[in-house]
This record gives sequence, structure tokens and C-alpha cells, in this order.
Amino acid sequence: MANLLFYLVSLGAVVGALGVVAARNPVVSVLSLLGTFFCLATIYLLAGFEFLAAAQILVYAGAIMVLFLFVIMLLNLGGQERPLMDHTLAMSRRLPLVVLVGVALAAVSFFAVARSGEAQAAAEAAPLQVDTLGGLAQMVFGTYLLPFELSSVLLLAAAIAVLVLAKRERGEAGR
Amino acid sequence: MSLFLAQVLKVVVIFAGLVSAAGVSTLAERKVSAWIQLRLGPNRVGPFGVLQPLADGIKFFFKEEFIPQGATRWLFLLAPMLAAIPAMMTVAVIPFTGVIATVDGTPIYGSIADIDIGAIYVMAISGLGVYGIILGGWASNSKYSLLGGLRASAQMISYELSMILVILSIVAMSGTMNLREITDQQNANSLLGFLPAWNVFYQPLGFVLFVICTFAETNRHPFDFAECESELVGGFHTEYSSMKFALFFIGEYCAMIVMSCLTTTLFLGGAAVPFWAEAPWFVGLAAFVVKAAFFMFLFIWVRWSLPRFRYDQLMALGWKVFLPLALANVFVTGLVLSL
Repeated sequence: MANLLFYLVSLGAVVGALGVVAARNPVVSVLSLLGTFFCLATIYLLAGFEFLAAAQILVYAGAIMVLFLFVIMLLNLGGQERPLMDHTLAMSRRLPLVVLVGVALAAVSFFAVARSGEAQAAAEAAPLQVDTLGGLAQMVFGTYLLPFELSSVLLLAAAIAVLVLAKRERGEAGR
Repeated sequence: MSLFLAQVLKVVVIFAGLVSAAGVSTLAERKVSAWIQLRLGPNRVGPFGVLQPLADGIKFFFKEEFIPQGATRWLFLLAPMLAAIPAMMTVAVIPFTGVIATVDGTPIYGSIADIDIGAIYVMAISGLGVYGIILGGWASNSKYSLLGGLRASAQMISYELSMILVILSIVAMSGTMNLREITDQQNANSLLGFLPAWNVFYQPLGFVLFVICTFAETNRHPFDFAECESELVGGFHTEYSSMKFALFFIGEYCAMIVMSCLTTTLFLGGAAVPFWAEAPWFVGLAAFVVKAAFFMFLFIWVRWSLPRFRYDQLMALGWKVFLPLALANVFVTGLVLSL
């Protein structure tokens, strides 16, 4: 039963991800991504990570995707549907980069699958206990406090940098 | 087997209760507004007009279905469902009363699902309700609807932040996200020897912030900018008719009810009866309904008493007043807890 559900939502996640890039309408792309996030949250739930599943829905589906929709509607991108393959030309120039990223991703997935037995053995030897809320908090705010806080500072810096860049561009265009 | 039966029974009773409560709320809205404005209100259908929601429902079924030209058809049809379903899903974790019975040594709690992440589950799912409004507004292919949808999305994101921060203070105090345990802790001891130790006394600022945020979260007056009939005709539901329009309304009222229940759970001790610790479960349930009904009344009371804000005032209030206050609340709570 759980296995069947797993394969079903995995299929859903892949179909949703394909929909994001294949959809002609940006709003449909966002909805496909939303579907993918839900399928991922279900997979987390099946794996026993309740908090991760709820956080996934709360943060990605509840806030970030709403923001995406907001921007799309504000810029009225939904008005004109983009033709299916209008970026073929642009793609061809970036083809080496696309292939490189694709190969790298495939390699990472391959190694992850190949070494999954090892990881399972390690997990059984020393359980991390991230499946309970207290265990997760222990990891995030205890063992890995510094890396966790540093990564959040990094995100903040990136957000501010984007703001500064966008502001400057608009200022120059206005002049 | 009997455990399974009890679970199914709970789902059916709570779901039916929620939907009928939504129907009753529409009548209450009209009755209370009439009372506030010195009118009589609906009183033709049944004694004192109590069958009015039923008549409204039948009317909605027989209205013409209308899909505007240029609308994105499948999204236009999907949006009302997306608006109603999350509101109905959130009710699953609300602990309406204490332990009802014990079957085979397993206690049957007063909520459909007694999960450890209850508080965050409510926020995660209720945040999805905005998709119905945004997509309904966008798919209608109408400028009024689009503006209503845009406003709803900006407003919900802004106020959800403060709301989650207030819940964070409560969670930090209780040390759990399980809503049943949060209520149990509020009833475990007493404050100054005579007051019940409800969170409303420990977190008065959080309580006020939370209640105001629920108004914004459910798009109610004075924050109903998604509809705003004086400037946007009907906002996101301008183009909707028949049962699809009714679904938006059912969703809104269900969301209001769930938010009332959540406020009761987090701040007013849930199903606790003051000065009667060993109250049986049905008395607790009645106490819960009374407390939640007060917040429903508050929703209606405020709607017919206050004028609407201006949109920039709403955003300024959310980001410049509520967010700093909620953050300070979290900080002070943490400080007091660590002392």
C-alpha cells in the first residue's frame, strides 16, 4: 500500500516537474510546481518526516508559490501565452552548459543510488533521530547550529544583493 | 474494528458539524447585522427565519452557471474547490473536547487526527486557501477579479507571518506543537490561585495580534480587500455565479470557524470549563462551542461596526506594526522562558 502510494506520488512529482518546463502558460507552470511540491511532501510523510512535510507545504506551497503567482499576475505574464519552443535558438547557444549541468545531475543521482545501501547501513548504525520534532531541533540548534545559522545569513545576503542589483538597474533605466 | 468505526464516526460528525455551522453562520451574519442596524432580518422561511440557509442553498443550485468569455475554463472551475477544501481540511486537528472514551486501552480524543505537528499543520493547510482566491481572480479574465486576487495574495503572505510568530511564542511556552497537549497544559494549573492558566493571560499581546490576523487571513472586514465591493464590484468572485459562488462563501465561513476554533484552542484553554476540572467530555464540547461561537460573533460584530481600511494602510499595519510587535513578543517570551 505504502509502496504503491510512493510510486504514484513519485510519478506525480516527475510529471509535475515536466509540466513546469513544458507548460505554455506561466500560471500553469506554477501550478505544476505546486503539484510537485505536494508529491514531495507526501514522500516525506511516507518516510516519516512529518515536520519536513508540513514545512515544505508551509514554506514552498503557502508562501513562495503565492509570491510567484503574485509576480506573474502583477507583470501580467499570463496574458500572452508563450509558444512552445520559442527558446530553441537561445537554448542552442547554451547547449554545452545545459549538457554539463545535466551530466552532473545524472552523476550525482547515480552515485546517490549506488551508495544508498551504505547510507542505510550508516543510518542503522547511528540513527540521527530527525524524524521527531525534538530530535530535529537538537540537530539544527545544537549539533549543526553554526552551519545552519551561516547558511541563513548567506540567504539573507543573497536577498539583499538581489534587491540592490534590481534597484540599481531600474535607476539607470530611468535616467 | 471499533477503533476504526469511532474514527469514521468522528470524521463524519465533525465534517457535517463544520458545514452546517457554516450554514448557520450565514444566517447569524444576517440576523446580527439586522440587530445592529435595528432591522428584523430574514424571518419568512421557517420560524424566525431559521430555514433561510436551506432556502439559500436551493436557490444557489438553480441559478444559472456562467463562465465569462476569455476565462481559463478549467482553472475557473477549479478555483472554488481550492478555496473550500483547505478550510475544511484544517478542522481535522482541532481538539474539540477531551478524551471521549477508551477503546481497547486506546483513548479516543476529541479531534479527528491527534498529530504532533498540529499547530504547523493548521497554518500550512489554511495558507493554501489563498490559491482559490488568486486563481479564481486570474482565471475570470476580468480586471476587478484580477485586482482582488492580487490583493488577497499580498495580504495573506503579510499577515501569515505575524500569525506564525504568535503561534511560535505559544509553542515555545508549551514546548509542543500538539494542539491537544497545548490545551491540556493550559488547564493543568491555575494562575494566582483562582484564574485558569489560559494563554490569553500569559500572552495578551499575542492574543490581540492573533485575533486581528485571523480577520486578515480570512479576508473579513475591515480587511476584505479581496472583495471590497465599493471599489472592485465583488473582487475575486465578481464573475462567479450559482454553486461556484456559494463554494467560495462556504470556504470563507469554514475558514472563519476554524480560525475561531484555533483561537479558542491556543488561547482560551479549548474545551476547559473554568472551576470544573473533571467536566465530562460533552460539557467540554459545549464549552468549546460557546467559546468559538463568541469569536464567530466577533467576526460579524466587527464587520458591521468598523469601516474598511485603505489598502496601503493594511500593508503598512501588517509589516510595520504587527510584524515588529510579534517579533518582540517572541523575543520577550524567549527571554522570560530562559530566566
